[in-house]
Amino acid sequence: MNSATALQIFFSSLNLGSIYAALGLGLFVVYSVTRVLNLAQGEFIMLGGMLTVNFYQVGIPLFVSIVMAIALTILAGLVLYRFFFYPARRSSGATKVFLTLSFAFIVDGIALRVWGWEFRSLPAFFNTQSFQLWGATIFGQTPWVTGITFLMVTGLFLFFGRTIWGKALRACANEPLGARLVGISIERMTLFAFSLAAGLGAAVGALITPLTMTSYSIGLPLTAKGLLAAFVGGITRAEGVVLGGFVYGMIEAVTAGTVPGGYHNVIAPLILAIIFVARRRGLLATSQEG
Amino acid sequence: MFANTKVIKDIIPPKIASAKLHNLALVLFATVMMTIPFGASPYPLTVMVDVGLYSIISMGLILFMGLAGQISLGHAAFFGCGAYISGILTTEYHIAPWLALFLAALITGSIAALIGRLIFRLHGLILAGVTLALNLVFFYLVSSLVDVTGGTMGMMNIPPLSWGQFTSQNLLFNYYLVWIVVILLLVFSLNLADSRAGRALRALNIHAGGSEYAAQVLGVNVTRYKVWVFVLSAVYASLAGSIYAHYTRIIEPNSFMVQSSAMLALMVITGGRSSPWGALLGAGLIVGLRQILRELIPALVGELSGAYELIAYGIILALMLLFLPGGLISLGRRAVPKRESSQDED
Repeated sequence: MNSATALQIFFSSLNLGSIYAALGLGLFVVYSVTRVLNLAQGEFIMLGGMLTVNFYQVGIPLFVSIVMAIALTILAGLVLYRFFFYPARRSSGATKVFLTLSFAFIVDGIALRVWGWEFRSLPAFFNTQSFQLWGATIFGQTPWVTGITFLMVTGLFLFFGRTIWGKALRACANEPLGARLVGISIERMTLFAFSLAAGLGAAVGALITPLTMTSYSIGLPLTAKGLLAAFVGGITRAEGVVLGGFVYGMIEAVTAGTVPGGYHNVIAPLILAIIFVARRRGLLATSQEG
Repeated sequence: MFANTKVIKDIIPPKIASAKLHNLALVLFATVMMTIPFGASPYPLTVMVDVGLYSIISMGLILFMGLAGQISLGHAAFFGCGAYISGILTTEYHIAPWLALFLAALITGSIAALIGRLIFRLHGLILAGVTLALNLVFFYLVSSLVDVTGGTMGMMNIPPLSWGQFTSQNLLFNYYLVWIVVILLLVFSLNLADSRAGRALRALNIHAGGSEYAAQVLGVNVTRYKVWVFVLSAVYASLAGSIYAHYTRIIEPNSFMVQSSAMLALMVITGGRSSPWGALLGAGLIVGLRQILRELIPALVGELSGAYELIAYGIILALMLLFLPGGLISLGRRAVPKRESSQDED
């Protein structure tokens, strides 16, 4: 392996890692408040991408399109909370998970009806062209994806660490009963978590569309990948989820760079599943049961 | 002392009567299913074959999800395993289709045993997430193994199953094949639910008031039972997959993607997880709904029904979860006495 290939793999793992980290964090914010896996997280990403493409194609400037897409996806997140999650707030976790699945079915159906089954794409931000960096070829959109996702993840960490809402969210994650006892409204936090997850998902969706394209059916597979990333790092802690995302990104980039064919999609999740089973509480294990 | 006995008698309904009623229902059902083809046109039979195939997988899933209280969102992978192994064995290695069907079930069962050994420690939602991810792994595996599976293009010309002069290109043959398998597996599943193993599985099912720790204390080998029921449900799915592959003779990876697993979960929940009968109700409801939409939507709106099907599935799933969490079967449960009444045995 020469240095250019190694560099290519390095950039690729940073890029994939930041995407998976953001994907996992979307699942984390909902899980931390509700202890429920939101199987519709991938649908937020799909909606973000598809709506951006939709607005962009009717002539609205790209960044305005993205903001509108994020706003509408947050609205979808609120619908998920109000009409699916809230009526079942006293039901079991399994019921709630399947309700998020029912929401995913409906969103997929609407997306298929509105946009058809074709894959859609966007130009790279600011029309950045592919360029060479120390022998590695970088697709124009990649630095934007990596950079902006990095900023979002950092922003989320500052939010979790420095703001009262972030601390409340962490309190719910660490000790749900205790959080309730000190006066944190679980219902308001759940509403907030769903909007945050939807907004984050939509932003990721808009970011990755120029790279990976998007279609109505990408949601559930993305959720599955995000779940693996979150599980491996430990879904009870934001640091764990981000670490899991980058581990996943690294393993996928390395296998994609070294194994021919589409096998990186087989090997990477398999390795992650094995790591997870071997170390069930996540890479950042604490004494707390996950 | 006497008071206690009286209480127990009140709680436990007379077993013999309800079992007889249940057996009668079963015989009646089998008779109806076997006589339906007489006088039926091909279209309803084709639909019934689909219902039967989905019923087989859902029945396996009900053993895993209903009886043992686990969650799987990856059983489409085992369905695909059966289909692809059957396809590969018959087209590449020219093994007889019937033998391929049994070998596929054996191999799929072994794969499930291996996976089960690794993931049996996982519970509830975490297990659901991991099975979902493993379904993704399976999809990418069959998509990547282009030389063996034809990649995303799929496999074609899979030889049909045959019996004398009848082959599975004959609709009636398929109908009887699928529904005989459904009825055999239904009888097996019902008996299993009522056996020592069934009670052991219920004991570790947290949704049925059980607990893994409590079951362990009572001497139930939790690991063995969980792995075993996982394998059994995979074998059901594999059988359906093999029959499907020899029936349609064309298979492609998209049929076995995570969305298909979601469909299976949909059938299990709408039908009801508490009894193997739920699988038939769920499969019947969802396939029936699909067919109605496929007829209605083009006539009413003038376009393909795919999008409307997804929306309808989502709405039905949500309504069921919110208003009838026990599924369709729980409607019948109110009218018919329970069969699960044998706690006094052994």
